[in-house]
Parts: sequence; structure tokens; C-alpha cells
Amino acid sequence: MPVAASAIYFLNLRGDVLINRTYRDDVGGNMVDAFRTHIMQTKELGNCPVRQIGGCSFVYMRISNVYIVIVASSNANVACGFKFVVEAVALFKSYFGGAFDEDAIRNNFVLIYELLDEIMDFGYPQNLSPEILKLYITQEGVRSPFSSKPKDKPIPNATLQVTGAVGWRREGLSYKKNEVFLDIVESVNLLMSSKGNVLRCDVTGKVLMKCFLSGMPDLKLGLNDKIGLEKESEMKSRPAKSGKTIELDDVTFHQCVNLTRFNSEKTVSFVPPDGEFELMKYRITEGVNLPFRVLPTINELGRTRMEVNVKVKSVFGAKMFALGVVVKIPVPKQTAKTNFQVTTGRAKYNPSIDCLVWKIRKFPGQTESTLSAEIELISTMGEKKSWTRPPIQMEFQVPMFTASGLRVWFLKVWEKSGYNTVEWVRYITKAGSYEIRC
Amino acid sequence: MTGMRGLSVFISDIRNCQNKEAERLRVDKELGNIRTCFKNEKVLTPYKKKKYVWKMLYIHMLGYDVDFGHMEAVSLISAPKYPEKQVGYIVTSCLLNENHDFLKLAINTVRNDIIGRNETFQCLALTLVGNIGGRDFAESLAPDVQKLLISSSCRPLVRKKAALCLLRLFRKNPDAINVDGWADRMTQLLDERDLGVLTSSTSLLVALVSNNHEAYSSCLPKCVKILERLARNQDVPQEYTYYGIPSPWLQVKAMRALQYFPTIEDPSTRKSLFEVLQRILMGTDVVKNVNKNNASHAVLFEALSLVIHLDAEKEMMSQCVALLGKFISVREPNIRYLGLENMTRMLMVTDVQDVIKKHQSQIITSLKDPDISIRRRALDLLYGMCDVSNAKDIVEELLQYLSTAEFSMREELSLKAAILAEKFAPDLSWYVDVILQLIDKAGDFVSDDIWFRVVQFVTNNEDLQPYAASKAREYLDKIAIHETMVKVSAYILGEYGHLLARQPGCSASELFSILHEKLPTVSTPTIPILLSTYAKLLMHTQPRDPELEKKVWAVFKKYESCIDVEIQQRAVEYFELSKKGAAFMDVLAEMPKFPERQSSLIKKAEVVEDTADQSAIKLRAQQQPSNALVLADPQPVSGAPPPLKIPSEPQSVARTISQPNGTSSNIDPQAPSPDLLSDLLGPLAIEAPPGVVSTEQHGPTGTEGVPDEVDGSAIVPVGEQTNNVEVIGNIAERFHALCLKDSGVLYEDPYIQIGIKAEWRGHHGRLVLFLGNKSTNPLTSVQALILPPAHLKLELSPVPDTIPPRAQVQSPLEVMNIRPSRDVAVLDFSYKLGTIVVGAKLRIPAVLNKFLQPLQLTSEEFFPQWRALSGPPLKLQEVVRGVRPLALPEMANLFNSFRVTICPGLDPNPNNLVASTTFYSETTGAMLCLARIETDPADRTQLRMTVGSGDPTLTFELKEFIKEQLIAIPMGSRALVPAAAAPPPPVAQPPSPAALADDPGAMLAGLL
Repeated sequence: MPVAASAIYFLNLRGDVLINRTYRDDVGGNMVDAFRTHIMQTKELGNCPVRQIGGCSFVYMRISNVYIVIVASSNANVACGFKFVVEAVALFKSYFGGAFDEDAIRNNFVLIYELLDEIMDFGYPQNLSPEILKLYITQEGVRSPFSSKPKDKPIPNATLQVTGAVGWRREGLSYKKNEVFLDIVESVNLLMSSKGNVLRCDVTGKVLMKCFLSGMPDLKLGLNDKIGLEKESEMKSRPAKSGKTIELDDVTFHQCVNLTRFNSEKTVSFVPPDGEFELMKYRITEGVNLPFRVLPTINELGRTRMEVNVKVKSVFGAKMFALGVVVKIPVPKQTAKTNFQVTTGRAKYNPSIDCLVWKIRKFPGQTESTLSAEIELISTMGEKKSWTRPPIQMEFQVPMFTASGLRVWFLKVWEKSGYNTVEWVRYITKAGSYEIRC
Repeated sequence: MTGMRGLSVFISDIRNCQNKEAERLRVDKELGNIRTCFKNEKVLTPYKKKKYVWKMLYIHMLGYDVDFGHMEAVSLISAPKYPEKQVGYIVTSCLLNENHDFLKLAINTVRNDIIGRNETFQCLALTLVGNIGGRDFAESLAPDVQKLLISSSCRPLVRKKAALCLLRLFRKNPDAINVDGWADRMTQLLDERDLGVLTSSTSLLVALVSNNHEAYSSCLPKCVKILERLARNQDVPQEYTYYGIPSPWLQVKAMRALQYFPTIEDPSTRKSLFEVLQRILMGTDVVKNVNKNNASHAVLFEALSLVIHLDAEKEMMSQCVALLGKFISVREPNIRYLGLENMTRMLMVTDVQDVIKKHQSQIITSLKDPDISIRRRALDLLYGMCDVSNAKDIVEELLQYLSTAEFSMREELSLKAAILAEKFAPDLSWYVDVILQLIDKAGDFVSDDIWFRVVQFVTNNEDLQPYAASKAREYLDKIAIHETMVKVSAYILGEYGHLLARQPGCSASELFSILHEKLPTVSTPTIPILLSTYAKLLMHTQPRDPELEKKVWAVFKKYESCIDVEIQQRAVEYFELSKKGAAFMDVLAEMPKFPERQSSLIKKAEVVEDTADQSAIKLRAQQQPSNALVLADPQPVSGAPPPLKIPSEPQSVARTISQPNGTSSNIDPQAPSPDLLSDLLGPLAIEAPPGVVSTEQHGPTGTEGVPDEVDGSAIVPVGEQTNNVEVIGNIAERFHALCLKDSGVLYEDPYIQIGIKAEWRGHHGRLVLFLGNKSTNPLTSVQALILPPAHLKLELSPVPDTIPPRAQVQSPLEVMNIRPSRDVAVLDFSYKLGTIVVGAKLRIPAVLNKFLQPLQLTSEEFFPQWRALSGPPLKLQEVVRGVRPLALPEMANLFNSFRVTICPGLDPNPNNLVASTTFYSETTGAMLCLARIETDPADRTQLRMTVGSGDPTLTFELKEFIKEQLIAIPMGSRALVPAAAAPPPPVAQPPSPAALADDPGAMLAGLL
């Protein structure tokens, strides 16, 4: 087991320590000063997440307005450290009920200290599962007094669960209505050249589940991915179904998935934890369906005028629609005056990010929409550097559409008592970094 | 600024930003806003413009780039109302610098404001001009600013600003401002009653005077008057009195200005200035109030530098020293530091050293000060004030201090003690004592150079050897001695141990055993020295001592297989040699004397880090770059008379002359020598070698520069005595060599060496004369006068009256070429050593070819130019006969050496040479010169020469110059030929490695 941290610090953006916990004595108390002077106050802050100063390694990440810094002096496992931070933040979020930021930390000092004591011991990560920790760290985060009071429940035996065969699920749960929610969330990353060639494109997706099931159910999930389908056709000794099969890369599963059965039978079967969890993650690089096409034309007319024409085409099914579409069209720094004509939505110039921001609330499929703008620039004293033309960025959400084409084939629930369950399946595709060069 | 709500909202937004990121977003948003507003000219009211320009300034001050909107800022300058104008001026001076083109737009408006009647606008405009101060402003606005400064209708406020504005413009571009005839105006300005205007004008004066002090000599009495007025506290308003001191700033500035004038001739001015200085010196004391102290000490120290500069009477100097003496005994460390530092500066003035010596004990106390910077200053001062008389005390004091001193200072301290001991040793045995003590006390901090040096001295001075040997023997008796001490004593005992043989406990075998005891404790580098010592001991033992032999051989045997090659080689070789008998004696015979060489210690002392800018080390270093060979000199060290004996009569005569003249003993070499004395001195003149000096007497006889101060009856025996010394080397040859290169020795005799180093750029030249005193006595009444020919403008910085022993002074000489001519400038140089007066007239190598710049032309460039020069007087041709026969490549080299570049391959005839160069002078500017030499392969002694240039005089002079060079070759042949063939060897050549290898002493030193 690798050491992950000698100490952990939570700093705000100015570099003040909000909370810290030292797990080992091999780092001095003033190490965070070194972090402040050598990393926070220089330009290197955003460049490199791991830095070494005077024999100490600083592993840090920024989450909302908090820097979480791990200090380690021995040969620590950096990946383990990062995973620990991510998991710890997820844990805190589940305790605070949502947000994790400076104020949340300030409001929950005691709770955080208690959790920090529990989730790491002498630099080694311990159990970070919120379900289990919530059993015995029962102190509630501060909630508004108007919210409903939590009911008094008998304190369940935590030890049994932690040491049992199914460590992530409690025995004896019972729901009136047995429901399973399954979401497939994909984000599309794209970099396209100005001529429309795809330079880089991939989809990262995850399968999120929310289970409200009684007893100890056994679930089985079937997707239209290549391995699963091939296996199925093999087993049933009949030709594979026509239609697209998807090749998933880098699949990772939640710990509840029975990997031996996956390896032998190629089916995803599991006993779900109670409540919300992330069942699996995957990546797709081939055969991505791009939801939008963007055709920009930008003309620089002399030193003080520019014409921008952007056409956005939605290429998903006509019955679907995209929500919250934002197109950010970069303009030079010295932009002084802008004039827009848009077919749908609204556009305005945002000087603090040097972009024209064009927002369309609802964008139906198989349609197109254009923006044309005239831009006037102010003359400057500086060097006559040509404008670098950063790429156009896009944000959107398309419900019931998957860029990968992934579909849920079946979701079977099996429980001893044989109750009926309701299964809900949703798909959603979001923009990751969706960039088009212009 | 009131009522600009947008601005204050913006500022408070910025202040409320939590972090840098939020601030940047807010600023970017605001910049976008400003850009939009500036683009919409229709809605841009003056109020909005003003508001946004203020915001721009605020953003700029926050450190963000604001690269637009300058036009708007500049346009606000021409607004009619004050608030707009003010922001226009402020933002323009913050955002723009002198190179921006936008400023050209503003010049006219600014000028209107300056010549306008509104004095607030005038002030704004003057501030802008002063802050930006570009060439454009200087050229177009300086006359108006000057007018404002002298106008009587302006209020003092405006004139004050005008003076400072002009000062800035002048500092930035002195050539862009016409200050001809400003002397009178400055004189008037200095009569001003208002102290504010006066302070600003004095600042301006300081800048003007530093540029050209001659033109402003009329201001000198005025400065003195200002000082008098302030010193008497007459007419000084309350607001200019700072803690009871009348305007210290003005006092300091006036005194600073006075320091730019070389001297004060008018006796009454001088007298009143000295009265003022006296008053300052008397009136300054240390008080409780820090601010008052600061002000009064600023005045005092400026007064001190003025006193030093003016070479005041001894009485006043000693008063200064007494005052400083009071300072260094004060408790306050700052004051003590200043006192010590200024005392070090006072060392520059020769005749106060005795007075400073009175404070020696106090200075030595300062060595124990808790503050290290004070200790350093004290050490510095002690080092600087040390001379023959007090060397013993000071060195002993330093040795004592060494054992308690801080580690960081020890190395410097031991180095300094070693240098002082070496330089001022009253006798050599004392020197040896000191160094041995030094090694004993601070062995770790004694660098190798120090003990190398003592070995060199002992080797070179025979009478010292027994003493050194016995001393070394004594130190060996100590139980724990430093390794360096082992090295020194081993070396000395090996060489001279046999001299002690009679003394008890000093037989060879006893020496061997006591040295051998140390062997196990020493490190590898010391073992070879010990081995050599053993071999030497063995050699000196006559008759042979079999027992000792056995022991030593055992040691050699042991080291024959040592892993260190050096030790192994020595052991093997000594072992074999020791069996050789006579050969052994030969090889290990006593070391020959070392060649005299510069001490490396001094060089090291210069390297030692020192923070104070005026440290004694640096002063010394400036004065004497090479010395510390005092002891090895053939002359006795201290106070010995110079070798030349002179009849007593002229001595007294010379004294009677120089004394009534005071410090400046201008001796006119042209004065008629009276019969009586010339008779008396006759024999001397005959004895003198017929040096070149006498031939040099026939140089130009214009001595305009020397006023005949001596009465008609004055008796000046200089002319005759001049030739009493033997000139080393041929002056004419040295001159010719220097014509072709830029540095070398111009003149040398047994007492002085005059070196020269020159840099030439266009028609300007800068020569530095290095006057080095080679003797151990000071050279007094040193004078150097330049007798310039009509075509050169020469300015020689004053040469100090006295050159201390073994010191070197530098004297820069500025040369400007006005028009082409072959005449040469002459340096009339004289000095006195004891009672001998030596003088020489030396040609300064500022000859025609120094103003040439090599230029290589191609045939496309050459021929059109050549054809454009059509016949006389621009192009002259001459057949020269009697030329020294030279092969063509040699001749080409010769031409190149005087910076006339041969362009090979231009002329179709291989026997011809074509050359080009550029000539610089003030009247001609840069002028292209072309030349063609047609030689006759059958008869090398004649050639035809064609020279052309754009100026008839230049053509003629250049032709004559080349002719002279071609014919004059035999005369300077020895200097010329190598110069033509290869880069000329420097005259003061360091010993080449080959020479070193031949010299056994040098080899040993290398080994050590």
C-alpha cells in the first residue's frame, strides 16, 4: 500500500489555510508557505499539478474556489493521492448536500476534521465510501433550520457491513416502490479544422444509476457494445443482430460489478449499492455521431473592421432538440463595437473573455441557424501583431441522444422475493471541449 | 475629480475583488466598455472622455496593458477647462514616452500653454515636458522654457518648474538645447532672492557646469555668495530653514557646483569661500535630533569634499580631520561610519596623513566595533593610512586583532597585513617575523601567495637567510603548528638550514628528525616539499652522515610506491640522485634568485569584496597598479636619497623658487637661464647623456598656456637640469611605434614611466596618460602641459601636483581633430624628484592616420569615386624617389598598418596598389580618401603615387603623410617592420612562457 500523503491542506484562492491535517511528521508545518510563495504566487500554478520544492512533493488540484494540496516527502503514489482527493471531495459533497467551496468548509470545520481523521491513517487512504461513513459519522452538516428534520433511525452495526461480503450494501432495505434509474451521460470532445476536417474526436461516457430496491437484488445490464453482443450471439448460436455495434475503450466498473462473471460471460451483473452511484465509465474514439456542424467565416477588413459569419447545423434526429446551446466566437482584444444579426437566440459581446457569446435556448434537430456580426476595432499603440484566431467553442446538451450510439439492450432485476421493478433509462449528450478552428 | 461616479464605482469594484482573477475580469469588462465609448464619438462628451481616461490611468497603474486611447488622452490636453486639461497632461505623461509619435501632436498645444498667461496651465505643461523630456520637446520647447525661467513677470513657482524642466531636457539631450551665452543668464539667476528658484537654478547649474565648467566661471563667485548668504543666515525665510539649518539642499548643491571648477583663482572669493567652509566646519556638531544631524552632516560632508577638491591650507585640512576625529569617537554608529569613510577619502590629500595618524588609536578601537561595516571601514582606513612610519604599529595591531577577528574578515585581514608588511617593512627581518606570526595565528586564512612571497624574499636577500632559518627552527618547536608553517619552515630550512649548523639543536640530523615528526600530520601537497627538504639536508651534510643517509633513504624508499605521482617521482629521483655524489650537489645546489615580479597579493586585495565605493584599496589600486617589489629593489627601502647627487646650491635655489609660488609651482621652461646658475650647473649638463630630450626641445615653442608667474629675477634652472636623467629607450622610436598602435610607453627614465593608451572614434580621440612613479620617493611639482597645433583641440585633465612613491596616476586627454594637418601636439612635461628637476617635451601620437577609418571598397564603388575626383587640387600625383625598397605585400601591410586599406584586385596591373580610407575631422566630416601607388618592379626605390579626396588640404596632407611614411621607414624601421608583418608586440611585455621556462627560479615558483 503506497503512502498517499504526509499532510493535506485546504487553501483558498489567496493562499490562506482553511483546514489542514498532518498525517506524518516528516514534513514541516511551514511547508504550505513554500507552496504559497513558489507555486501560488507564480504563473506556474495552472501548469503542473505536481511540483517538488526542497525535497517535498506538492500534489494539488483546484476544486471550485479551494486548492487542495497534498504534501508528501517520501516516494508517494501520486495517482493514489489524486484519487484520494477526488473521492474525499465526493464524500464531503455528499455530507454537505451539494456544494464544496470555501464557505462550505468554513461551515463544517468539525465534521471535516472528523472525516479527515477517518479517511486516512498515517498517510494511507482508508474507507471513503459515503454510505458506510455516514453510518457512524452521523454528525449532520449545517442545514437550514427550515428543512425537514431527519428521522431518528436505529444505529446500524457498521462493522458487520464493512467486513461483510457485500460491503457496499446494507441488509434489510425495503421500499414500497422498487425503482431503478439509469442514465447514460456522454460528453463529446472535438477539435475541427476550419475546413471541416476532424482533427481530434472522442466521447467519454458514464453510466449513472440510482437504485431504490428492496433486499439484495441482482442486476444484469445489456448494452449494444461489441463484446457483449458477440458473446450473446455466440452463446445463443445465432447470427448477431443487424445494426451498429459499439466498441468501448477503457471500460472501468464500480466495485460492485462482478468481474469474474464479466470476464467469463461478458455480462455486467452486480448487486447495486443503495442510492446513487456510477456504474461504469468508458471512452469511444471511433464512429462518433457529431451533434452539431459549425461553418465559420471570418473576414478581417483592414485594421479596424471585421465580419463574422457563423452557421450552426444540428445533425441529430429531427424529433430531438438540444438545450442550452452556447457558441463562443472569439474576437480580437481591441474590439470596440459589435453589430449582430441572428436567426435564433441572442448574442452579445463579452469583453472579459474576448468572445461573442451566442446563446440559443432550444435548438431542434435537422435545422440550421446563423449569426452574422460586424465588428469594429479600436486602433492601438501596440505592436501590429496579427490576431491568433483562437477556436470557436460550443456548449450544448442533447437529451435522448448518444454521440456514441450506445443503447441499453436490457436491464434485468432479480431478487429472491421476486417483486416487480420499474426501470427508467435516460440518455444525454453534452459538449466537452467542442472546438472548431476558424 | 469629484462627481465622477462611474470612476469611484469602478475603483470600489476593483477593491472588492476577492482575487486576481476577478480583478482581471472586471478590468477586461471595463476596457471593453471604454473601447466601445471611444468608438462612439457622437456620444463622447468631454465629461465622459475625462472619466474614461482617468479609468484608463487607473487600469494602467494596476499593471494592465492599456494600448489604446492615447489619442483621446492627448486630445484632452487642448481642452479649455482645468479638470480636462489636468487629466490630459497626467495621463499623457504616464502612458506615453518620448518615442511615441502622438507626442508630436501635443507639442503645439503644450507650447501654447507654456507661452500662455495662465500659470496653472504653465505649470502643468512644464511638468509634462520635464517628465517626458524627449528630443522633440527639447528642440521645440527649450527656448520657451528658457524664456520663462528668466522672465521677471512670472511667479517663482513657474520659474522653479521651468528650471527643473530645463534641467531634465538638458540632461537628456545636452546637444539639443542651445546654452550658448547662458553663462550671463545663469549668473543673473543666481542673484535671485527666492530660495526655491535659487535651489532649482543651482541644480541646473550643476548640470551645466559638469558639462563645461569654463563657460560658467562667472557663476563661481555667485555660488560663493549664495553660500555666504546661507552661512550667515541672511534673508532666509522660515519655510526654507530645516531644523535651524538654512536650506541645506541649496548649500549642498552650491558646493557640488563649486567642485566642478578646477580651482578658484580670485583670492578674495577664495578667502570668503574658506570663511564659509570654516564656519560650516566649526558649526557642525553631533546633536540628538536625527533629522538635524542628517541635514547638517550632508552639508558637512559636501563641504569636506569641497575642501579636498580645493586643496585647502593644511590648517583647514587638519581642522577637518579633527572634526572627523570627533565623529569617529561618537557612539552613534552611522556617524562613526561616515567619519571613517570620509577620513579614508581625506587620505587622497597628501599632507593630512600626519594629522590622521593622531587618531590612529581611535581608529584601532573602531576595529573592535560590534558593527562589521564599521570594522571594515576602520580596517580600510588603517590600510590606507599606513606608511613607513606607522607600519610597525599598525601591522602589529592587525596581527593582534587577527586572533579575535571574525572569520569572514580574517582572510582579508591577513592579506592586508601581509601587503602592508611587505610594502613598508623597516627591515627585512621584521617582515619575516610578521609573516611567520601571521601564518602562526591565522594559518587557515593565509593564502599560498603570502608564503610564496616570503620565500621569494628570503631567497633574494642573502643577509636574511640565517635569520629566517633560525626563526623557522623556533616555530618548529611549537607543539601544534599549522600546515602552512610546516611548508615554509621546511622550505627555508632545506635551503638555509646548513647556515645554522653551529647552533645547538640545528644539526642536519636534528632538523631532519624534527621535520620528520610533522610528516604524518600533513596533507599530500606538503609531502613533496618535505621530501625536497630531506634531500637538501642530505646534500648539505658534509662529510656524509651515514646514519642520516639511512634514515632519509628509508623515507624515500617508503614513498617510492606512493599513489601520488608527484611524491613518487620525487622520492625515486632524490633517492637515485643521492647516490650520485657530485651530481647530487649540482642538482640540489641553492636556489637561484627569483626574478623580480609583481606581487600577486595586491591583485588579490583588489578582488576582495568591498562595498564602499571609495575604499582605500581602490584608491591604492588606482594609484599603484604594480609594486610591492620594494624589498627586492636594488635601492634601500626607506628614506634613502636618490642615487643622483647634486650640488647643494641649486637645491636651495630651487627650493626658494618653489616655495613662494605655493602649491602651484609653474616653472617656465622657456625662461632665460641666468648666467650665474648656468655656470654652476654647467658640469652637470655635460655629464648628462645626450638624450633625445634635448633634440625634442626644438619642438613648437608656443607656450601660450603658461603664464609667466615668476618674477623677472626668478632663476629657473630647469632647462639644464632636465637632462640629468638618462632616458630609457629612444623617444623617437617610441613615438613612431605609437603612431601605428594605440597603447604603449611614450617615455621612460629611471624615475617615471609615461604610458599611453588611446581610443579613436571618428574625429574624436581619448588618450589616457599613465604617469607611473618608479622610485620610492614622491615626485613633486609634476606638470604636464599640452602645446596643441592649430588643427587639434586638446583638453588634458589636470595632472596632480605630486605622484606618491610607486604610484601611478592617470590623466585623460581629449582630442578633437578640426581639420587635416600633419603637425603634432607636444606634451611639455616636468617633475621634481627631491631636488632634481626633470623635464621633457614629448610628441603626442595624435597624428593624421589616427583619424582614418579603414574602409574596403569594391570595384563598383571605387571607380566612380575615383573618376569623380578630377585632377588637382582634389587629386594629386607625385613621383617619389628614394623610397626604401619594399616588396608589394610588405608595402600593403604598411599601408594597412596606418589604416589605409589596400583593396586587392582592383587594379588590373599586379604591380599597383589601390587603397581607400575614411578621414574624420570636424570641418570635413567623414571624407572618403582614395590612393593609388604604381610601383616599378625594376626599380623598387621609386614609385608614382596618386591621392584623391574631396578636400584639397586633405589630399595634400595625406599625400605628404604617405610620402613621409614611405621615405621615413629607415628611421623607425625597427618599430615599423614587425608592426607591418604582425601585430606589434606590446612594449611592456609580460614575460613569455618560454622565458619562464628558461629561468630556474621561475620554474621553482611555478612548481610551488
